[in-house]
Amino acid sequence: MVAKFLKKILLIDLLIGLWVTLKYTFKPKVTFQYPERAKPTRRRFRGILRLYRNEQGQPLCIACKMCQRACPENCFDIEGAKDADNKMRPTRFNWILERCTFCGLCVEACPTGAIRFSHEFRLSTLDRRNLSFAMDQMYYDFDLQEHLQGELVNP
Amino acid sequence: MSSTLLYEFIIPLLKVAVVAIYPMLMVIVMIWLERRVVAWIQSRIGPNRVGFQGVLQPFADAIKLFFKENIMQCGADRFIFNVAPVIVLWSALLAFTFVPLGGTMQIGTYNLNFWVAESPVGLLLILGISAISVFGIIFGGWASNSKYPLLGGLRSVVQILSYEIPTGLAVLSVVFFSESMNMIDIVKKQQEMGVWFAFILPVSLIIFWISAVAETNRCPFDLPEGESELVAGFHTEYSGLKFGYFFMAEYAHMVLLSSVVVVLFFGGWLPPFPNVRFLSFLHKVPGFIWYFVKIMFFLYFYIWIRGTFPRYRFDELIKLAWKWLVPLSLLNVMLIALIKVL
Repeated sequence: MVAKFLKKILLIDLLIGLWVTLKYTFKPKVTFQYPERAKPTRRRFRGILRLYRNEQGQPLCIACKMCQRACPENCFDIEGAKDADNKMRPTRFNWILERCTFCGLCVEACPTGAIRFSHEFRLSTLDRRNLSFAMDQMYYDFDLQEHLQGELVNP
Repeated sequence: MSSTLLYEFIIPLLKVAVVAIYPMLMVIVMIWLERRVVAWIQSRIGPNRVGFQGVLQPFADAIKLFFKENIMQCGADRFIFNVAPVIVLWSALLAFTFVPLGGTMQIGTYNLNFWVAESPVGLLLILGISAISVFGIIFGGWASNSKYPLLGGLRSVVQILSYEIPTGLAVLSVVFFSESMNMIDIVKKQQEMGVWFAFILPVSLIIFWISAVAETNRCPFDLPEGESELVAGFHTEYSGLKFGYFFMAEYAHMVLLSSVVVVLFFGGWLPPFPNVRFLSFLHKVPGFIWYFVKIMFFLYFYIWIRGTFPRYRFDELIKLAWKWLVPLSLLNVMLIALIKVL
């Protein structure tokens, strides 16, 4: 009773609170200063879809159109043909980011692992025409930012 | 002749200019400091893009406010609506005339006093003038012709009037010791006694400080402008530079009350332990620097409190004033009067 009264009259709880915030004032901050330093993405992060190549630099895509069939939003427009080595290769691979919901059904459907999620999340653009991609713009080593920020107009 | 002109006219005029500009400069410092410190407390970084570490952020805000549209809602009392922010800011700035910003500095044969006016009732004048800001707040709340500002204004009046009583009683206990209401004499008395009044009158200090936080409508007593309840309280309907006036007035009041606390309890421009010969080298530092260091501590303390405590409920706020602070300060005054008589 007396202790409780003393605690109240000497503002002990308030001093404890002040001490806590004083400690936090000098603690390291958790903020990532974004444009300079981005927070690293996790392993299974779903960024924009990209086409990948194998170790020899050959495209993995065999133009089987499984992704086109799996896609609930009709993002894909794929056409394939046999090349000189008698292998199926895509001749047209148009994809529209605007429609993509990042559901991952195409990634699951792909038999060769050609189409996968990348870790790129900076997808803003000023022109919605920049949101459609042709085949050579779908590869993972394509400069996405230049495409999105530039005045490029796709065919 | 020219020296008379200099001493009697130009120097006082410069002093007035400095005292009018100095709270405004402090507002700029405080806006930046508040945003940074509250951010640090909340494990954030705060504004650090505009200028070095974000020091130009207040200027960016001011320019934005300057170019904002001045909205006058229909049904508002135009004259009172416009005059309210002026009253609030004016009351804060005028009270600075009686605050000593430093001691007397000898330049050649001239004694430069770091205060504009000396009055035998300076302390009462400061409390009285700063209390006029209540009128600005209630005018603004009423003239807005809107329910949230009115509620905010009413709350503010109740709050400030309630907390005037413990403030006055805490000040009274200081006056018992200083035997003067002159701000300069209060500091000189502390020099004479060789000890800051904070060490003789800790209870008065705590009461005064709690009341000071309440009177400036600061967190945790920011009921008149509680964002979650009243949008922004009495200045909800204000925009542009008129809002800026209220904003500046709030910070100027904080600077004012910090100055009053420093003068009453922490020896104004005096260095720590003013009479200890061993520490006499501290007198080499000009008085206004000591004063500035001290008020910066209290301004930081305002921000620190804001970052720490949650807002009071309104009945709790009034309960704190009338059931705790008023009896406590009365008891304090009686005890000190008894000690003084004995």
